[in-house]
Amino acid sequence: MQTQVQILVIDDEQIMRDGSSRILSKGGWGVITAENGQQGLEIVKSRPDQIDVILLDLMMPGMSGMEVLEKVHSLDPNLLVIIITGFATVESAVEAMKKGAYDFIPKPFTPDQLRIVVRRALEKRSLQKEAEFLRQEREKSLRDIATEKSKIKTIINCMGDGVLVCDRDGYIVLTNPAACRMLKVSEPCLMGNFISQCDLDGELSKTIGESLKSGDLSYTSVSQELSIGEAGEIFLRAHTAPVRSDLGETMGSVTVLQDISHLKELDKMKSEFIAMVAHELRAPIAAVEQQLNVILNRVAGDVSEKQEKLLVRAKERTKGLLNLIKDLLDLSKIEAGRMVQYKEPLTLQEIIQKVVDLMKAEAENKKIDLEFPPPSQNPLIHADRVSMEGVFTNLISNAIKYTPEGGKVWVNLGEEGGFAKAVVSDTGIGIKKEDLPRIFDKFYRVKTVETRQIVGTGLGLSIVKSIVDAHLGSISVESEEGGGTTFTVLLPRESNPTP
Amino acid sequence: MAKKILIVDDDPDLVEAVTMILESKNYDVAAAYGGLEGLQKAKTENPNLIVLDVMMPDKDGYAVCKELKADPKLSRIPILLLTAVVSKIATTRYTQQMGMETEADDYIDKPVEPDVLVKRIEALLSK
Repeated sequence: MQTQVQILVIDDEQIMRDGSSRILSKGGWGVITAENGQQGLEIVKSRPDQIDVILLDLMMPGMSGMEVLEKVHSLDPNLLVIIITGFATVESAVEAMKKGAYDFIPKPFTPDQLRIVVRRALEKRSLQKEAEFLRQEREKSLRDIATEKSKIKTIINCMGDGVLVCDRDGYIVLTNPAACRMLKVSEPCLMGNFISQCDLDGELSKTIGESLKSGDLSYTSVSQELSIGEAGEIFLRAHTAPVRSDLGETMGSVTVLQDISHLKELDKMKSEFIAMVAHELRAPIAAVEQQLNVILNRVAGDVSEKQEKLLVRAKERTKGLLNLIKDLLDLSKIEAGRMVQYKEPLTLQEIIQKVVDLMKAEAENKKIDLEFPPPSQNPLIHADRVSMEGVFTNLISNAIKYTPEGGKVWVNLGEEGGFAKAVVSDTGIGIKKEDLPRIFDKFYRVKTVETRQIVGTGLGLSIVKSIVDAHLGSISVESEEGGGTTFTVLLPRESNPTP
Repeated sequence: MAKKILIVDDDPDLVEAVTMILESKNYDVAAAYGGLEGLQKAKTENPNLIVLDVMMPDKDGYAVCKELKADPKLSRIPILLLTAVVSKIATTRYTQQMGMETEADDYIDKPVEPDVLVKRIEALLSK
C-alpha cells in the first residue's frame, strides 16, 4: 500500500493547477495534475489504487467535468471526487453530487478552504480503506474456518475408529463411515436421529443416555464391549464420555468405537490352545499318578520305607501338577466366557454356608476356628452357583492355609448400597505391602519362609478375580504383615428379587 | 467263582494299573482299549461290572453307556464311569450334569485311590 497520499487535479487553467499544487504540496500530499478530462482519466487508468482524491473542474473544453466524473466512477466507484465549480451554481453542484461526487468547492477559494475540503475527503478515504481491509480480513478468516472445518471433517471421515457425537437432547449430530460400518447401519439412519430410534445396540444407547443424564462431575467415561451382527461376529469396544461446558453442564456425548474382533479371536485361540495343552498334559500325569497309587498300595509288590517316602513325594508333585492344570483350564474357560453362563438368582448365604461346612474338617485339622455368623441381611444376587462356590472355596481355603494353628478365620455377609458384601478375614501371616498390588496376578505367589511349605498354583486368586469381574463385582484386599488379611467381595444385588 | 470286570480305557497304562488293583482283589479282568471294543466285549465277555472311561477317541463313555443301557440284555450290568474332571471349579457342575445326563451307576475321578475304587465296585456289585 502506498504511503503518500496522491491527489489528482484536473483543471484546464494553468493557474488553478499550479495554485492547487502549491497549496496541497505544503500539506505534505503528493499532487499530479492533468489539463483536461482525457488526460485525467489516463492517469487514473494507469495508476489504479494510487489516486486517493480527485479535484475536478466542471467547466472544461472537450470532455466536461460531469462526463469525467461518470467515467472515473466506472473505473473505481470508491474514488473520491471533489468538484470545483467556477460559476458557482447550486444546480450544477447538486447535479454533480447526485452523480456521486463527494464534495464541491466554489471558485475562488482560499488555501485553507481547499485544505479543509481535501482533508475531509482524505479522512473519508482512509476510513474507506480501513473498512475494505477489515472486510478482506473477515473474508479470509471465514475461508480459514471453512478450510479447518473441512479438514476436521476429512480427518474424522478417514479415521479407522468410529465416532458418534450426540447433542444434549440425544440427537446424533456427527458420525463417520467407520462408525456406520462397525454398527452395521447406514449414515442417513444415524445423522440427525434420536439415539434410541436408530436401531443401535441397546447397551450402547443406554450408556449414551446415561452419560447425557449424568449431572455428576465424577462421571467421566464408560468403556464397554459390544457384539454386533446377527451371529455376534463383530466385537466392538465403545468408549463413551459426556462433553461438558466450562460450567460443568453436559453439552452432549462423544462415543469412540474400536473394532476388537481380531483381539477377541486371538484371545479365543489362546484359550483354546491352553485348553488343548492342558488336556494333553493331564492324561500322562494322571496315568503316572495311577501307577504310583498302585505301587504305594503294595498291589505290585512290597515297597521299602525309603521307596515309599520317595513315591509319596512323587505323588505330591503329580497332584500339584494336576491342580495346576485344573486351574489353568478354569481360567481359560472363564476368560473365554464359558464359565459364567448359568446365572440364576441365589443367596450368598447358602453358598458360603455350603463352603464353610466343606472346609470345617480342614480347619479343624489345623486347629483353626472357622466361623460364619448368621447374617442380619441375606442379599439376593444373580450369579453362577458353581463359580461362586469356587470364589469362596478359594478365599476360605487360602485363609486357612495362611493362618497358623490356633488362629481364626471368619466370614461376614451383609449389604452395601446396591451390592452384596462378603468379607473373609483371618488372623494369618498377612501380606507384605509391596506384594499386595500383585496378588491377583496370574502365577504370582508370595515366597517367604512361612509360605514355602504351602502348596498352590498361583492361579487361585486370579480365578477368583476373573469370576467376580464376570459378575460385574469387585474384590479388594487389606492386609498387614503378621496382622491378618481381609478380602472384601462386592457383587451387584438382584434388582427384582424373585420369590 | 470270581466276578468279572471289564475295563474300558484308551490309555493302556491306566488299564494296566487298574487291572493290577482289581486282580489283587481276585477279580477276573477283561480289557478293552476303546469305546467300540468296549461295547463288543461287553457282549462277549459277559462281565459283572464295567469300569468305563469317558474321554475316548472313537466313542466316548457317555455314548457307550447309553448304548449299553438301551440293550435289554446288557442294561443290568452296573457301570462305573471313570471321569477325568479337568477343572476344579467345574467339579460340582460336572457332578450335577453327570447325575442328570448319564445312566451310569456311579462315577469316580481319575486317578483313583485303589481302596476307593475297590469299595465303590464292591458296593455296586452287592446291589
